[in-house]
Amino acid sequence: MKLPLSWLREYVDVDASAEEIAERLTFSGTEVEGIEHVGAGCEDVIVGEVRAWEKHPKADRLRLCRVFDGEGELPVVCGADNFDVGDKVALAPVGATLPGGMAIKEAKLRGEISQGMLCAEDELGLSADHAGIMILPADAAVGTPMLDVIGGIETVLELEVTWNRPDCLCVIGMAREVAALYGVALKVPEPTFEEKGKSVDEWTRVDVQDAFDCPRYTARVLTEAKLKPSPVWMRRRLTCCGVRPINNVVDITNYVMLECGHPLHAFDSALLKESRIIVRRAAEGERMATLDDEERALTPEMIVIADAERPVAVAGIMGGAGSEINDTTQTVLLESATFDPARTHRTSVALGLSTESSHRFERTVNRETVEWASRRAAALMTEHCGATVAAGVIDVYGGAAELAPITCRLARLESLLGVSLGRDEVLGILEKLQIPVANADDDIITVAPPGFRPDLKIEADIFEEIARIHGIDEVPAADPMGRVVVDADDARPRAVAACREHLVGLGLSETMNYSFLSEQALDRFGKDADGRRVALLDPVSADHGVMRESLIPQMAESLGRNATHQELDAACFEIGRVFYREQGAICEEERLSIGLMGRQAGLDDTSPEGMFLRIKGLLEELLRVQNAPALELQPDAHPAFEPGWCTAILLGGERVGILGLLTAPIRHHWRIQSPVAMAELRLDTILSQVHDVQSFTDIPVYPSMDRDLALIVDESVCHGDVVRVIESGAPGGLTRVDLFDIFRSEEMGDGRKSMAYSLTYRSAERTLTDEETNRVHAEIMDRLRRELEAEIRER
Amino acid sequence: MAVFFGQMQWGWDFEGDETVNLETLKRTVAEGLDEARTAETADAVEAVRIKYLGRKGLMPQVMKELKTVAPEERAEVGRLANTFKKELTELLETRKKELSGDAKAIAEPVTFDYTLPGRGPRRGTRHPISTVIEEAVAIFGRMGFTVAEGPDVETPYHNFDALNTPGYHPSLDRQDTFWLDDGRLLRTQTSPVQIRVMESRQPPVRIVTPGRCYRRDTTDATHSANFHQIEGLYVDRDVSLADLKGTLAYFAHEMMGPDVAVRFRPHFFPFTEPSVECDFSCHVCNGAGCRVCKGSGWIEIAGAGMVDPRVFEKVGYDPETTTGYAFGMGIERIAMIRYGIPDIRLLYENDMRFLRQFG
Repeated sequence: MKLPLSWLREYVDVDASAEEIAERLTFSGTEVEGIEHVGAGCEDVIVGEVRAWEKHPKADRLRLCRVFDGEGELPVVCGADNFDVGDKVALAPVGATLPGGMAIKEAKLRGEISQGMLCAEDELGLSADHAGIMILPADAAVGTPMLDVIGGIETVLELEVTWNRPDCLCVIGMAREVAALYGVALKVPEPTFEEKGKSVDEWTRVDVQDAFDCPRYTARVLTEAKLKPSPVWMRRRLTCCGVRPINNVVDITNYVMLECGHPLHAFDSALLKESRIIVRRAAEGERMATLDDEERALTPEMIVIADAERPVAVAGIMGGAGSEINDTTQTVLLESATFDPARTHRTSVALGLSTESSHRFERTVNRETVEWASRRAAALMTEHCGATVAAGVIDVYGGAAELAPITCRLARLESLLGVSLGRDEVLGILEKLQIPVANADDDIITVAPPGFRPDLKIEADIFEEIARIHGIDEVPAADPMGRVVVDADDARPRAVAACREHLVGLGLSETMNYSFLSEQALDRFGKDADGRRVALLDPVSADHGVMRESLIPQMAESLGRNATHQELDAACFEIGRVFYREQGAICEEERLSIGLMGRQAGLDDTSPEGMFLRIKGLLEELLRVQNAPALELQPDAHPAFEPGWCTAILLGGERVGILGLLTAPIRHHWRIQSPVAMAELRLDTILSQVHDVQSFTDIPVYPSMDRDLALIVDESVCHGDVVRVIESGAPGGLTRVDLFDIFRSEEMGDGRKSMAYSLTYRSAERTLTDEETNRVHAEIMDRLRRELEAEIRER
Repeated sequence: MAVFFGQMQWGWDFEGDETVNLETLKRTVAEGLDEARTAETADAVEAVRIKYLGRKGLMPQVMKELKTVAPEERAEVGRLANTFKKELTELLETRKKELSGDAKAIAEPVTFDYTLPGRGPRRGTRHPISTVIEEAVAIFGRMGFTVAEGPDVETPYHNFDALNTPGYHPSLDRQDTFWLDDGRLLRTQTSPVQIRVMESRQPPVRIVTPGRCYRRDTTDATHSANFHQIEGLYVDRDVSLADLKGTLAYFAHEMMGPDVAVRFRPHFFPFTEPSVECDFSCHVCNGAGCRVCKGSGWIEIAGAGMVDPRVFEKVGYDPETTTGYAFGMGIERIAMIRYGIPDIRLLYENDMRFLRQFG
């Protein structure tokens, strides 16, 4: 919210500078996000008078103007068309500098000389308005500084008002804060005006159908209003607050809203059917054009202000175009009311329509001062619109909001803050905040929350008030204390941290991706055949429309993006959650993905086999350090993986993931030339044993016996088969089986290969003899011959 | 013969002329190995060889005497003697080489280029988000906080209602929250984990909850639709705002540097009361004002406060006897400030040239 300082100072007498006030506000709960000096840099701009203008001969959109600067007429080329002869305008003559730093020089625009610039408000940093050049009041003295006409430089504080403090969304509310902080009085003007003529009841009638929807509705009627621009000072304040001036009647409603926080609405009474007001729910299918010229579809969930026939405003949000104040308006019906905050919020969201008005109503507006706002606006309208106020006011009011008294215990306050305050300071703070104390026993204080503080409901709310005015920063910091919660179980997060550490230790770099991606990106890795995917109901963009069901697509994309900028070697992992639907229910699961591309530290083999075995080796080592079951792979198929190069990962017989080489079409999407190995598995399957303590086993004391063997087998026989057969026939003394060579030759013939193994035998009890080792070894060779039809070449 | 050798040589080697036994042999073995190691010339090495292994040396003698050894020790003595012979032979061989200069098997490194790149394993890199989370967890861990986790897909109850957020709070807007078709949502904060932990146990609760959160922000240099938070919760008896301040001040020093100061401003959060925002003094300019802190000398880091009694009521704690504080901060923000990362999107692009800059 923007707060012009000169306006604030009307209600509170504080000498402090803007910076000091900003600091005090920031440290009492209303953060000042910036201090703006509106008008600064406009010192060179003067009042000019347009004496004549004609169309630029060579440019339809430009005008050639003769502008009087108090001494002579200057030729000025201007792109705006919102002015006429005789208008007073903001003139930046040659030699002037504008707030943005732009220096005005004599220029030729399409062949025409221009000795100055007519400025729009945004060019002067006065507002965001660029609808046309700034038109100054007719009585402004030509040649004098423009700033003198608009009231000089205005200092504006940009505030962040927290959600719980609707009372701070206005100048008076902030003045109350400042008054409390500086211990000075708050001065609120008492509006005065004369009522004349017919009673308001003869002009209109108000029916409120539901007092919950609309706890209070007041109507006042003003006649003989003369529509014109509002005075310069009022327009200036509105623009400083970011509100665009319209006409005097509308501006006054906005001015009072900014001043006291009550949104008001002015209807052209002549446009209300039967001149009456009904506050009701919209009917099913009812429609209305709002002031922004949008046709709105209304629902029975929405409160509307209606006349005898149709809705004329969406209650608390925006008026209707059909009853708008216009140039011919004479009789104004002035509404000052309150509406149910929750319903106002829901309606605002449903219509996608957020206004200064809805912003305040959805945060609660004080019922008790609704009538003050109405009087304030009426007084200003008699003063600035020449209006006459009809006698009386219609006030449909069920009574003030029930704000229950709150009992506060000083002892509890002090133990909660960790600081000793004393009764006098507490009572002093409450008084400054205008929170009445109903009863103050020794250490128990009962307060009655005032109507402007609907946020004060329980003891803690009052504690917060005391704390913020005392100063949170004043509360001393206690020495940090340790406290062990003995039965806290964080085994899983620690296991994840250990796993991450192991992965990094294995040479992998951690990546992170969004939890959502595009349908299209997922489809590249296989269609959503069984409806497992989870879509967001309203994503920010289609690129992030679907929750990830696997980490593989983004891992591939990460590697691919690196490849496109010549980072061809990468070893990465990601630990992250995936989301899927199972039997209708949305589930999430943490997974680990690993992706390898190109050469790896110490390993140059980028053949398919090399990459496959590299990722397999990584996984084996990871499982070892995680104390997880040993890795088992089983042939499998997956649309993202090359046939024949895809395996399921099994741990302890359970299928927990997938490992393989990406298909060529997927790689080629990012123009990756070399094989890419990838694995994904359920993280929890490798976590549970990471903290297990390993028990020591004796280091062998007796020498080992090594025996090599080479066997020629059919290509279909795999290493796993050989090891299985060797181990099935071995005594406990076989401690290692190492494959050290595979080769193929013409001699052996097609479809045959030689595999060479080194076997290590060792006994924990004694030195093995050659004889017994040979016997066992021979038996193993027999089994290999028998079961794998291997041809053994002994060494 | 046996007696003769026994008299001549065992006399000083073994005590007296008794027959060989395990104990005396062990001593001989130890002495022999020692003599071999300390032999300083080639001749001395040869002398040791002759003394123990020569045709008339001690070991052949022992083998001959073996039959006189007590039966229960006989096998062991034989084995020991054999091992010794083998070991001593190798040792003497090595010693001979050492003395003759043959031990210089590695060529003198005059031509070796020690500036060649080192070989071998390379450690991977941890993502800066993980690093910040794990360091924060470690810092709070030193004060006895343990990590608690919860789901990304949350119920509106845990994400909003239980946190005393009224049904029409602005953050409930569909425009800020990602909703799923089962009525649940992607959590907008990690606070629901606090609720879940409190629902599951009685005080004390002392947890930190790092995790991923989601908001419907359009991605730009400082906003990301998914991001990470770490929140903390301490619930016990007699917990005060002063404790909260001390805890966050300690965190600030440990995370950003010993000179980093903290300041606290009142603020509003629905689930804490009083609520505060916590600024750290800028670690780049030490509070003087710079580009990182936008000239103010302070950087807004954390939101915090004393847990609202209405939250305790929701989880079934007695708000009269229970007090506690909670705090929360954005991981990406800390990472960006700490490492000087200018754009949040860099954290999710996984560019190796980015990732390799972190340990």
